[in-house]
Amino acid sequence: MTIQRIAYSAFVAFLASLLTLVSVSALSSSDRDESADDDLDPITLEALAEHDGAESCWKAIHGRVYDITDYLPNHPTAEEVILEWCGRDATEGWDNKRPGVPHSPRAESRLESYLVGRLAEKDGQSARRDDTAEKPGEAVADTARALSPAEDERLHRAMLGLPLDGRYRGVFGDGGEMQVSVQFDLRDGRLSSISFRHLAYRGVDYLVLEEDDAFYPVRVQYAQIAERLEGEPMTRIFALYEPERIVDDVDSFSGATLRGNKVISAIRNGLNRGVYSWP
Amino acid sequence: MRRLLRSGDIALMVLLMLPLAAALPRLGGFGGPPELWLTWVGRVAGILGLAMMLLAAAVSLRLPGFDRPFGGLARLWRLHHWLGFGAFIMVMVHALALGLAAVPVSLDAAVATLFPPLSHGATWLGWLAWLAMVIFLAPTFAFFGQPHYQRWKRLHLVSAAALLLGLWHAFLLVAGTALWWLLGLAGLGAIVWRKLVSPRLARHPYRVEAVERLARGVVELVLRPESRRMAFEAGQFVYLTPLDETLSAGRGEEHPYTIASATSDDCLRIGIKDLGDASHALQTVTLGSRVLIEGPYGEFYGRRFPERDQLWIGGGIGITPFVGGARDIAERGLTNGRVHLFYLANSPDRAYYREELERIAEAHASFAFTQHYSRERGRLDEAYLREHCPDFTEREIYICGPPAMNAHLQRLLTGQGIPASRIHSEVFDFL
Repeated sequence: MTIQRIAYSAFVAFLASLLTLVSVSALSSSDRDESADDDLDPITLEALAEHDGAESCWKAIHGRVYDITDYLPNHPTAEEVILEWCGRDATEGWDNKRPGVPHSPRAESRLESYLVGRLAEKDGQSARRDDTAEKPGEAVADTARALSPAEDERLHRAMLGLPLDGRYRGVFGDGGEMQVSVQFDLRDGRLSSISFRHLAYRGVDYLVLEEDDAFYPVRVQYAQIAERLEGEPMTRIFALYEPERIVDDVDSFSGATLRGNKVISAIRNGLNRGVYSWP
Repeated sequence: MRRLLRSGDIALMVLLMLPLAAALPRLGGFGGPPELWLTWVGRVAGILGLAMMLLAAAVSLRLPGFDRPFGGLARLWRLHHWLGFGAFIMVMVHALALGLAAVPVSLDAAVATLFPPLSHGATWLGWLAWLAMVIFLAPTFAFFGQPHYQRWKRLHLVSAAALLLGLWHAFLLVAGTALWWLLGLAGLGAIVWRKLVSPRLARHPYRVEAVERLARGVVELVLRPESRRMAFEAGQFVYLTPLDETLSAGRGEEHPYTIASATSDDCLRIGIKDLGDASHALQTVTLGSRVLIEGPYGEFYGRRFPERDQLWIGGGIGITPFVGGARDIAERGLTNGRVHLFYLANSPDRAYYREELERIAEAHASFAFTQHYSRERGRLDEAYLREHCPDFTEREIYICGPPAMNAHLQRLLTGQGIPASRIHSEVFDFL
């Protein structure tokens, strides 16, 4: 009889404890939200590598950096196993406590209490590249935070109004139609990979012209522009105010004239719009 | 009561501690801040809980002879009961301690530890194992009143699911699984033997040769083996499964009954009192119908002090092991020293077997018999015992009877300074 009462009481007490735990957790507003990564100090791989021993052991796990020095003596695994991961990205070790077996949610919770920052890679990009690839704008913001203003070259260029390296797209439109759409890359202030995504004038699509078409030479001249500005400094576009400085056979036979101004305008439009995608 | 350890107990303890001993080096120390020692407690409780659960299953193996190192099947069943109880408690300590260990981090972490996303299947397997445990243990511990014997027995099979889920839970979470395989196979093997193999292999067919009516509601079945007769010792018991199709209840169900025949008797004699549906139906079992007998089990006359004379006290249907013992004396004409049997009954019409016992006592000087009627003299007291058996405090004592009588006699005898180790009794309850 007694054993039955004890079993029953223990059962009820157990359920009550669980219920209390769950309800208290649900009712108390959690102050400690998961710290947003953006608010964390960026830690480079080099900085991480300095903490590679028992006296100071930092580990990067899933893009975050943890200082687990104080926990080392309490970890159940042999010390050499856990020390092996100090000072580097230990995500693999974390996800494979034993092959295929990740650490428990409880271990994850405990790990968060040792959080010191997030992992920044050498070029200043966030380590979590997966979600930045599609959003260059955010990457700029991340990077600005990632580097000191004393060493952030992109910041310096932006502050001086210098165009940033990247891919640009710009257009020139007039008379109710888009006449020039150009794409180009900037590398260290020099142009490359220039291509025309659209060329038209008064309803004529220059990009689909045949060789025997009257306007075809103009189309060739545009191609020369793209070819000859390759590798030139950005400032070279202003030579197009006098196109003959760049291209051949201007006005040679057709009467149709190349308007270099339109290209200047489209390129400047691209610069004004800002970087379209990052290199 | 046998307080001393049996060889089986020591083997059980070693097996119980093995997984813990193997895991301890990996568990780290017990000290440190609460989250660490709570984690330690949680893990140790989990290891012990699973080991207890598997061993409880392993000792449910009902193989004739297997119970002897544990002091008989009744005692083995008590061990099983305690192991199951321990496992149930440990499993809850396990969960609670691990949950509380995460509270210093945050309440959310504690809840996430106990109820993680479903992708953490291992934890949920643990919960399912616990749930299965609640289902099959709730009736055992009478959470909702006393269950029906056969329904309880069927429900107890959920333990196999609990075992499998518990093992699976552990396999996903622990490093070394060799010991768990060992214990798991022992536990599951015992269940498979009990439920699948032994009903086909270990039951001996007998035929009902006679049904002798001893008193109102009490009969003695005389069973003749269809093949080889089963060897047994006086005071042992068997599981009897009647196959008589005319039975109103209990057909095909097994129930434990004590053997009342002498060990040399070709027939098996079993005294059955009308105490429930199945035993009621057996009062009118058809002559010539078949029964299946599984056994023998138990160690009723286990001697701890073979140099001492014996005092036997039987009451009600609890007289049957002593009838077996007395018939054995009558057949073989010898005892280990002297034996004095007290038969406690309400009144002469309830004192079945009395005449036979008196005849044996007359024929054998080493066997004395005293009848006691509680309707005339009230409960058996020290004066009555001393009057008929002056040296009763010096004897090795065997008791069998209803629980109230048992408790009364234990008090009476230990009150006379008789050490508990010299008083033997087998208590049957849900065997």
